[in-house]
Amino acid sequence: MAARRPTVIGVLPFPVLVMIAPSLLLAAFVILYPLWEILRLSVHEISRFGLVRGFVGWDNFTAVLADPSFRASLWRTLVWTGAVVGGTLVVSVPTAVILNMDFAGRGLARAVVMLPWSVSLSMASIVWLWSFNADYGLINTLLQSLGLIARGVPWMARPETAFPIEIAIGVIVSIPFTTTILLGGLSSIPGDIYEAARIDGAGPWLQFRALTLPLLRSFINIAVVLNIIHVFNSFPIIWIMTQGGPDDGTHILITYLYDLAFRLGKPGPAAAISLIMLAILFVFTFLYLRLQPKDAN
Amino acid sequence: MTRFKRITHLAAAAALSLASMAAAARADTVRITVSFYSAATGPYFEKMAAAFTAANPGHEVKIEVVNWPSLLQKLQTDIAGNANPDISIIGTRWLLDFVRDDLVEPLDGHMSADFRNRFIGTFLKPAEIKGKVYGLPIAASARALYYNKAMLTAAGMPDGPKTWDDVAAAAEKIKAAGGNGFGLMAKGTEVDVYWYYALWTHGGQVISPDGKAAFNTPAGVKSLAMYKSFLDRGLTQPGPTDYTREDLQNQFKQGRLGMVITAPFLINQINKEVPTLQYGIAPVPTGTNAATYAVTDSVVMFKNSKVKDTAWKFLDFLFSAGPRIEFTKSEGFLPTTKAEAADPYFTGNERLQTFVNLLPNAQFAPTITGWEDTAKAVTNALQSVYLGTATPEAALKKAEDIANQALGK
Amino acid sequence: MKRIRFSALAWLALSPLLAVSVFPFVVMLTTALKPLAEVFVYPTHWLPQHPSLEGFTEMWKATRFALALRNSLEIAFESTLATLAVAVPAAYAVARMQFRLRPPYRQFLLVTQMLSPILLVLGLYRLMGMIPFGDGKLLDTRLAIIIPYAGFQMAFSVWMLSSYFAAIPAAIEEAAWIDGCTRLRAIVSIFLPLALPAIAVTGLVAFVAAWNEFALALTLLRDPDRQTVTIQVVNLVAGRYSVEWNQVMAATLVATVPVGIMFTWLQRYLVRGLTFGAIQ
Repeated sequence: MAARRPTVIGVLPFPVLVMIAPSLLLAAFVILYPLWEILRLSVHEISRFGLVRGFVGWDNFTAVLADPSFRASLWRTLVWTGAVVGGTLVVSVPTAVILNMDFAGRGLARAVVMLPWSVSLSMASIVWLWSFNADYGLINTLLQSLGLIARGVPWMARPETAFPIEIAIGVIVSIPFTTTILLGGLSSIPGDIYEAARIDGAGPWLQFRALTLPLLRSFINIAVVLNIIHVFNSFPIIWIMTQGGPDDGTHILITYLYDLAFRLGKPGPAAAISLIMLAILFVFTFLYLRLQPKDAN
Repeated sequence: MTRFKRITHLAAAAALSLASMAAAARADTVRITVSFYSAATGPYFEKMAAAFTAANPGHEVKIEVVNWPSLLQKLQTDIAGNANPDISIIGTRWLLDFVRDDLVEPLDGHMSADFRNRFIGTFLKPAEIKGKVYGLPIAASARALYYNKAMLTAAGMPDGPKTWDDVAAAAEKIKAAGGNGFGLMAKGTEVDVYWYYALWTHGGQVISPDGKAAFNTPAGVKSLAMYKSFLDRGLTQPGPTDYTREDLQNQFKQGRLGMVITAPFLINQINKEVPTLQYGIAPVPTGTNAATYAVTDSVVMFKNSKVKDTAWKFLDFLFSAGPRIEFTKSEGFLPTTKAEAADPYFTGNERLQTFVNLLPNAQFAPTITGWEDTAKAVTNALQSVYLGTATPEAALKKAEDIANQALGK
Repeated sequence: MKRIRFSALAWLALSPLLAVSVFPFVVMLTTALKPLAEVFVYPTHWLPQHPSLEGFTEMWKATRFALALRNSLEIAFESTLATLAVAVPAAYAVARMQFRLRPPYRQFLLVTQMLSPILLVLGLYRLMGMIPFGDGKLLDTRLAIIIPYAGFQMAFSVWMLSSYFAAIPAAIEEAAWIDGCTRLRAIVSIFLPLALPAIAVTGLVAFVAAWNEFALALTLLRDPDRQTVTIQVVNLVAGRYSVEWNQVMAATLVATVPVGIMFTWLQRYLVRGLTFGAIQ
């Protein structure tokens, strides 16, 4: 790619340095010291209040890896991330395609689709928790008035109902952001190529598969990567609705780690989990990007 | 600017900041972190701070109100970042961790015999570690059974159930009349405690005197099997793992729940929200013996405080008769000082007296390391039994192993 | 006629998503308008029987909402400015200049996103407590939260801005250079006006992120007088002995309004910003 552009200026020419240095410094400032702290905590025995009791090497890591709750949470994290990111994409692509078409009231439809974005994740989780309340929630009221259930269902009582609901909410709150990115991608596709395709006799489905999807790919990639990162680390939905329970049945790594660090007062193992999570995410993301065709970036 | 000028400026600035530091030493600012008990907590402490400043001109008290679930996390971060307050409210059961890290000050040196004598003896005990008192009991509560008068009268027990068999019998009748009999909670805080009522009243214990997990016994299995049978027979509300203590209290306030075990502060909530509700308060039902759970929150002073004397002065003020009575009344706790207990508000309050009378049989959460791990292991065990994924025997065995590991046994 | 049918189809296809998007707002509004006694009525009514503004007025006092609102606005606005001030030049460099360290630079930004703030908050707190600032520490100021917000927003902002900047034809600027413009002048008078919609959209995203953030604000904002709306609303729910849901919903609704207004207002820019690539 670099060879195609005429203006190669070097490794890091001075004007570029001046322009990107502040962003680099700022990002490094908020990440490097905390990361160093996590590294330090992960190899020490640490009291609840951060007092170092001694160097323990890999002990925190081996302890965590041997913990069945950790392994269950790890597996659930993969399910959670896969389901939320996949579900989001499956809804967002057609939504963006429709919102990119010219129809009456499109502005309003776009605004409504974006609307959930304006509610913070914590608040949205609170509202959904209340909506699923067994006694007074509007979900039960709605289902009862439709005659689908006889009495209120305690939705959060079992992991088998609670976790899928949490996944669905994860999808709902990820849609606005994803749709926005995809809409940006769609609107950058010039309309005349569709014109040409139509003249060549391509139907809407073929147009979508042969033109839209490939041209949208780089936008889908960035949406997927950012979603993987955010969803993998997403804390409020599960914490607010079930705190990882009942019987640890809805914990993902981030809620499990929080429980460990702050409820049980074990910063060392919690730091070890943070690093394991970082490693997983790192591998995931770069594997995903590597698996993409070369020109996708 | 010449070099010389710059130096004089610096010197002047240094002198100025020294002067302001000296001034600061005379006028102390005490920072206190308090937990949110009700909407009245913040205003109460602000009022006390203002009164304290008025009596001690120049000294100031800064209040930070923190929600209970965030409190320990907040203190953890504060301490790790070396920015902790001078005094703070904590759960007494957390105290050991603070003492082990040498973070909090033993208060014996500050306490005069007269000051010590203000307290009801039972309540100073939980915050005592190796003979030293580290915390003052700011809030105390015990648990009793609230029952709906109409429902229980219809079930033939107008004075409430005495035993667990009574609870089951009453719940059968309430269920037949379309209500929820006995409230069973298994979400949020104190899930484990809600079962300890049954465990203790069947003669069981959570931790043995030598510090081992002691709940996996015939008493433990029997009491857990009892709760599970309540659930299976429809004597509780359905889906306990979706119900927090607050959810049960709400059902009780609307007259949809016959019985629930909870703390004295529900009285204040009912007075405010549903003053017409007819209800009674009875001791925790008995099995083989009587028991209840009592809990205190303590005020501790941090070792690294630079204003210990002023902080103590403020505590001395907080624990004088007037402020104590006002606090305990508005929050709906139990008296921890003799002056409160003697106040007509408490002596004449039959409902609160039910709680006070339970105190001789009360169990406190022990101050041991590994208590939170034990609580979590027990909570998971209970939830798995209520969900039907484990038998009481298997679940308690698993919890016992986890707890013993955490307890270092 | 064809357009009407097509529009109806489009709305029909979107309707499940629209319903789910609107549902939380319906819950907020109906619950907020119920007096407390009516919130806990079983069976629940959809609509308030005796609508009341009690939830709003009580919440306004209980959360010191006016103060929290001002704090949130200040923090979100300032961190948005900080984000843009740093991200716009960086994005310009990424879009317009070729340098060999560009891929590692972008990868580094991506890595900064990989650790959840919940993991980093302890270290950030210690860091802010170590850096002297003014009479005290950085931790005592609003900067303690503005800097992390800007830092964590950097990756997305640079990516979004640079991809839009890349879509603005470089030829326009180059023509200006030929006319004797300096590079800087060409940026200010030619490039920036064209880039404004993209900047506005990126700013909006940064604003919303700061407005809604919870974990960092909970820890890094020590002073009770600095608490943000999000913190105050979550505080209404977390660990209370009794939760007054009408107040909670009223607070959530009011907290959402400023952002909602910005979305509607910037919706034109959003579309324009997003369609920018189509101009080329």
